[in-house]
Amino acid sequence: MRFSSFANMIGHFAERTPDAPALRYEEGGEARTMSFSQLAEAVARRTGELRREGKTCLGVFADGSMPCVVEIFAAVGAGMQVVLLDESVPTPLLRGLIPYTDVDKLWGDRELCDELSTSLTRGVRDGGGKMLFFTSGTTERSKAVVLTEQSLCASAYNGATLLPLYPEDTLLCMLPIAHVFGFVCGVLWGLSCGACVALGRGARHYMDDCAFFRPTAISLVPMLLGFLLKQNAFNDELRLMLIGAGDCPEALINAAKAHGVRVCFGYGLTETSSGVALSIGDDPYAMTVCPDDTITLAPDGEILIRGRTCMMKGYYKCPEDTNIALAGGALHTGDLGRFDEKERLFIVGRKKDMLVLPDGTKVFLPEAEAELGKLLGGGDFALALKDDRVTLAIHGDERSDAAIFDAIAPYQETRPIGQRVAGLSRQREPLPRTATGKIKRWELNTRL
Amino acid sequence: MDRQEILEKTIKIIHDCVPELEGVELKEDTVVNTDMGMDSMNFILVICKLEAEFNARIPNRLWSKLSTLGEVVDAIEKYRQ
Repeated sequence: MRFSSFANMIGHFAERTPDAPALRYEEGGEARTMSFSQLAEAVARRTGELRREGKTCLGVFADGSMPCVVEIFAAVGAGMQVVLLDESVPTPLLRGLIPYTDVDKLWGDRELCDELSTSLTRGVRDGGGKMLFFTSGTTERSKAVVLTEQSLCASAYNGATLLPLYPEDTLLCMLPIAHVFGFVCGVLWGLSCGACVALGRGARHYMDDCAFFRPTAISLVPMLLGFLLKQNAFNDELRLMLIGAGDCPEALINAAKAHGVRVCFGYGLTETSSGVALSIGDDPYAMTVCPDDTITLAPDGEILIRGRTCMMKGYYKCPEDTNIALAGGALHTGDLGRFDEKERLFIVGRKKDMLVLPDGTKVFLPEAEAELGKLLGGGDFALALKDDRVTLAIHGDERSDAAIFDAIAPYQETRPIGQRVAGLSRQREPLPRTATGKIKRWELNTRL
Repeated sequence: MDRQEILEKTIKIIHDCVPELEGVELKEDTVVNTDMGMDSMNFILVICKLEAEFNARIPNRLWSKLSTLGEVVDAIEKYRQ
């Protein structure tokens, strides 16, 4: 079903299947269930409270709990702007993101909210219905992508059209819902189909959430898939797996299939409210474009997306970046693709200078390397991925490894741990460069 | 249990969970999250085992902020129940 709002979506099922399970979650060590009618009541009650409070922009430390999901739906219903925040982001960065996005109220861990309360603002006008998700990469200044409940509901519809769930399904949400892939493919995909969404209990329970909730469907990033396979953590009832937010090695997909699970792969961006193409056949890399989206290829092979319903409104307070990204009315993804004779999309590489880590987060190389260059005092170096870890390839620097790490300490401290430089790779030869001095990334990767 | 004992047990658990680190010397200032061949998933596994071993509960929001072995030991000391 296509829904125009969260309230519309929840209300639809609350009216038709009021007792059907909407959310499953843990409380006091027990699995609890909230029906669609109970969810509708909880959201309506909280919506009223938030309206009376009169705040305009809610920053949510999205821990993926039941109260968190209710709070998000309620705040949007109350006409607030909602900013999805990741509590694992370093506090100094959060101190900048809160005023940037005009947050005037915080929800989440009490200690963290108190610590950040001095950063709150007076709020925002005309933010109603907007949901802000931060792009998964790290730039010198993180950008918030402006989506709406309409675009997010449309994205869920888009995905469910190609990959439907059913009321008897349980979708396990293990991904952080502060990221659009987790929010859409971990929560909205299930609810929009009238299925039950089991809310994962966080990293502490990665190994036993499948056994606890017995899902039939799950959305994962490649790194988490690899971990769960290694721990043999999947339950027998699982029948469908949606992988997204990063390149997934064929060996992992085959290992998942060996469990008798249908494995599908999704391609999308925060800017498109999550997936725009999904693999629905035997080949997990051959993706069918979602019904509301149009994908074309630029002459150099770059994937260009036009979305009638799912496209972002823009980058928050960044009109110039928005104009560049949406030049000519299409989103310039920076990814390279090709179509086969059946018009199925294949991702073949990346045009943008960025690293995509196995957990789906991104490191934008121009910004990162400019910052490292200042700290290192110049030199012949570049960032690359080696064994899935961010590696500093460096040539001609006589300093010890420890001295180099000391020099880049200010860079490391402002990055999430997974995005920090994890190792050095000393190069005997100068790094491969084009005639204009740009690093030849593919050649460097091959060398590493 | 004093800090030294926690440190020694922590090192043993890391070596048990990440066999690739067998024989690698781990010090208090060793970055154990992304360095030394341990990826973030292995790190989660290690923290889960440590919490169970020491009956500790480190707040979720701090997990990804722990970097060195010494910081991990500090967190265990602080959040032991």
